[in-house]
Amino acid sequence: MSLREEVLTRVKALLKDRRVDGVLGLSLFEKEPVPCLFEDPFDVDALVIEPKWLLAKLAMNILKTAPQEYRLGLVCRGCDDRAVTELAKRNQLDRNRLTLLGIPCTAEQARKCLCSTPYPREIVAGERVEGMYPMNDEQAQLFLTGSMEERMKRWARELNRCIKCYGCRNVCPICVCIPCKLEDDLWVKRGHIPADMVSYHLIRAFHLSDTCVSCAGCTDTCPVNIPLMLLQVSMRETLKSQYAYEPGLDPERVSPVLTEQEKGEGTLFQEPAWIDSLRGGS
Amino acid sequence: MTDRTEDSGNIQVVLEGAGRKIVVFACTWCALIGADGAGKKRISLPATFRVIPVECISRVEADAVIRAFTSGIDGVAVMGCHLGGCRHNGANLRSARKLELLKPLLDTVGIDSRRLFTSYGTAHEYHQFAQAIESFCSQIGEMPPVSAWSRSFVRAMSARGENE
Repeated sequence: MSLREEVLTRVKALLKDRRVDGVLGLSLFEKEPVPCLFEDPFDVDALVIEPKWLLAKLAMNILKTAPQEYRLGLVCRGCDDRAVTELAKRNQLDRNRLTLLGIPCTAEQARKCLCSTPYPREIVAGERVEGMYPMNDEQAQLFLTGSMEERMKRWARELNRCIKCYGCRNVCPICVCIPCKLEDDLWVKRGHIPADMVSYHLIRAFHLSDTCVSCAGCTDTCPVNIPLMLLQVSMRETLKSQYAYEPGLDPERVSPVLTEQEKGEGTLFQEPAWIDSLRGGS
Repeated sequence: MTDRTEDSGNIQVVLEGAGRKIVVFACTWCALIGADGAGKKRISLPATFRVIPVECISRVEADAVIRAFTSGIDGVAVMGCHLGGCRHNGANLRSARKLELLKPLLDTVGIDSRRLFTSYGTAHEYHQFAQAIESFCSQIGEMPPVSAWSRSFVRAMSARGENE
């Protein structure tokens, strides 16, 4: 039985048993994949699982607009699973109303997204494949290594192409702030190309520093092919090495930049020893 | 970049690394006291920095630092109270972590994280403030101005036949 057929059986069972009121997945419309909300088990045969499509934000919006008792099923990949976790941590969606149907990505897809965990925490069908480390990719290395001048030139060349379509912000499953700083003239002047785009991209990247689930949605979406996800890699590495924290993997753990310091936890900066005396501890 | 010395009254102003612009965000409760003290003692300081007083450095968002760099500021110093000694329930600790997390991003795009100087509780005496500012200013003076960074954008554009 193929992965798709297994998912179909699961979805049909969920809908027949009335455990969910609808399942969000992809279906083919005129041979093009589009997100689709399946509410009738007889429609489910149209469901497809390829290509990768980020559905977490859509699921969040459905849950926000649907009646309180509406329960939703979601066919999700690793990135969607992590995004749902992060959104739930930030009170953007009610995890109890959401049933996840996790499917793993193919090795090819993982390589394309430079994804280190190309599978959700719970998978209903299929086999997990090993992820990859972004720094092992040759193209990523080009952007993340070299002297400051080389980096600056390379990123200048990339960011210069930006047409400021706001696609990277709109597709990002974590970008949910209202109001958005990128629409505030104090930070980023709207309609200016490309004068403010450095602050645009850096502010956008930094806002996702401790939430980015590395879904590569920004890179996939960008109409001018800026490898935007690579901006996040160094910050993810820092969080991982200093706090052993990876966004989206642990539903309980609060982001380390929002918490008070815990004993035994790594610090990013050197603290003088005399600080301990001020904390009232040993 | 030539250094020059001006004598205005009995205050000696040394323009070191002239042309560089440095913004100092100073917490009212620590670094600003140091800055005030340095002024009262008439210590000679580099003339390239401007102090922006803030109630607590947690008021300084990382976005503000990014905005400073992209609008042509060469160095940003964020000076707050010692960690654990904040008047606002450890707000400076969270802020400090965010700013430390900004450094890898600055390095990634080539702005260089050495342009962002953070100091916690080490500048509340005038001589400490003066020392911190002096070493930071001389460090920035040795680095290329940030305008080189933003210029590379303009150059790449004019190569495409666009003008700005």
